[in-house]
Amino acid sequence: MIDVLPTNPEELAARLSEPGWLKEARTGAQAVFEAVPWPTRKTEEWRYAAGRLKEVPFELPLALPRGRRLSRDQLPAGVKRRLAEAELAGFLVFVGADLVYAELPEELKAKGVVFTSLHQALAEHPERVEANLYKAIPARQKGDANDKLPALAAALWTHGVFLYVPAGVEIGGPLGVFHVAEPGELAIGRTLVLLDDHAQAAYIEEHLSEKPGAAVHLGMTELFLRPGARLAHANVQTLNPESHRLYRQRAVLEKDAALNDLMVNLGARFARAEVGSELVGPGADSEMLGVYFAAGDQHHDHHTLQHHVAPHAKSDVYYKGTAKDRGTIVYQGLIKLEPTAQKTDAYQTNRNLLLSREASVESVPQLEIAANDVRCSHGSSIAPIDEEQLFYLATRGIGRKGAENLLVAAFLEDVLGRIALKNLAAYLARVIEEKVRG
Amino acid sequence: MTNRLEIQDLWVSHDGQMILKGVTLTLPLGEVHALMGPNGAGKSTLGKVIAGDPTYQVEKGRILLDGEEITDLSPDERARKGLFLAFQYPVEVPGVQVANFLRLALKERLGQEPPITEFYARLKEAIELLDWDEAVLSRYLNEGFSGGEKKKNEILQLMVLRPRYAILDETDSGLDIDALKVVARGVNSMRGPAFSALVITHYQRLLNYIVPDVVHVMMNGRVVKTGGPELALELEKRGYDWLKEEVAGA
Repeated sequence: MIDVLPTNPEELAARLSEPGWLKEARTGAQAVFEAVPWPTRKTEEWRYAAGRLKEVPFELPLALPRGRRLSRDQLPAGVKRRLAEAELAGFLVFVGADLVYAELPEELKAKGVVFTSLHQALAEHPERVEANLYKAIPARQKGDANDKLPALAAALWTHGVFLYVPAGVEIGGPLGVFHVAEPGELAIGRTLVLLDDHAQAAYIEEHLSEKPGAAVHLGMTELFLRPGARLAHANVQTLNPESHRLYRQRAVLEKDAALNDLMVNLGARFARAEVGSELVGPGADSEMLGVYFAAGDQHHDHHTLQHHVAPHAKSDVYYKGTAKDRGTIVYQGLIKLEPTAQKTDAYQTNRNLLLSREASVESVPQLEIAANDVRCSHGSSIAPIDEEQLFYLATRGIGRKGAENLLVAAFLEDVLGRIALKNLAAYLARVIEEKVRG
Repeated sequence: MTNRLEIQDLWVSHDGQMILKGVTLTLPLGEVHALMGPNGAGKSTLGKVIAGDPTYQVEKGRILLDGEEITDLSPDERARKGLFLAFQYPVEVPGVQVANFLRLALKERLGQEPPITEFYARLKEAIELLDWDEAVLSRYLNEGFSGGEKKKNEILQLMVLRPRYAILDETDSGLDIDALKVVARGVNSMRGPAFSALVITHYQRLLNYIVPDVVHVMMNGRVVKTGGPELALELEKRGYDWLKEEVAGA
């Protein structure tokens, strides 16, 4: 744990040639970081993860852009493998804090689509960045320990992604971003996605390791969906089992906007994801899916927020996952309805399957409802793998590993089936199978 | 090579209670044997123990398949050696499609991916013989199946996986006469020199359609009498009491 920022945010802003407003935002965030405490076990939202947070080596050197560029042939092998099957319309590849490669068809550029690094966007579209950056995830929100990481991220982010899709533009295939973690570094990134009225896009962000060794990734993603916009969004981490990942995502959905979101935690030693949607326009629809698999000594920690401000909006959280070995899973979810959120439909489901006696799960769904004419439900379950099913399958010749694999795939089938990005769902099914057998 | 399934002086307990008390039984390859007996005799336990149900404890005795002891093998290893148990209460496995499940099971038994055309030919043949619809193949394994469909599905699996030794645990229970005939047709289609079955049943009824070569009767955890098909008819006519007395008198 660090008590002062390892890097001076003003110097960082100067080094990255940033405008004055951003430098001020960084120093403001520094003040928040220094004012609020680190989360502890007494912090409700960190009750099950404070111990793991203590192990995160924040003292690692901050990943800074070093101007590296790669040709397509030189891209890391793991990225090339994914590119071969992901059928992306365009993609960016980051190694550490460097955007090393970018590809976007001219046709999309001609339509006004911007898909680039945040710093490039600061230079070319400063007003769009300034109007939105930090608006969904400000450095200071609650004024307590929950602000510690967003403040750190706001003060010291060094690289990021900017996607803008103009009104009415529909992007055919998904856009992809690959972040290759560099061992021995603290990487702090941000993503800003802006879909104008009735724009439509699919966006996949993947975090992976090419090499062994501990890395820390702190990421903040802000998604803005203007009226009628539709976004399929996925964040997938398959980092090596020594790494740490801390992630917060907030989507703001205006009138009739629709989000199909997917959070995937398969890698890392400790991965925490806080995924929230703010439904500020009537008719907005936020489907939030989660898939995770904690094996070995992995700890996967999930927090969802469905914050309904507008009436007649819908949200549906469906998080499902598995733990084996000594893996631990946490799910904490909150449906929060403001008094203005009449006629809300809000659902929240968390289901967990345990493959070993040593694995464990904490599942805490919560409702906070200030409106009276609404439909809300929540539910959670934790179940060990069914020994009768295993025996039945075994009598047909299917051994323990094969049967577990079949039952895990069956367990996750419905959530994978709801992923808007079919290609991605097939890839995840394969990674999960390797994990069951591994 | 001794082509047979042998149970030698098998003693089995469950939750500290002895259920099988020295069962001895031989099922040569190519024969169909019926295993009859009153409720609680231990018939279903014997079926499950042969298949390797881990909830039962073998205290004494041996199970041999073609001369090789399998008493300590896992259920899937036994299955891959050619054993099959048709469950009295087939287990529902939501999310697993019948066809995918069968392909995986066959792959595990063969040690390699089954040739796709042969696999579907087997499926088609079995479905037709069982008066069934191919739609069943994309349904989830036993989920939402009626009692009769579950039993039919056990026979479908039997026909596709083609084990050498099958134990049918009260496959007839809960079936109407038409369903019973269909199930019997499936089992009879398997009969031949490379297939044998141990048909566990309460009733003579099934044995009108699957005519056994040998009938064993179990009581109180032991096989107390072995005879030809006429033994089943006698039991149907006279019940089990006379046999109980005979055993007690012996």
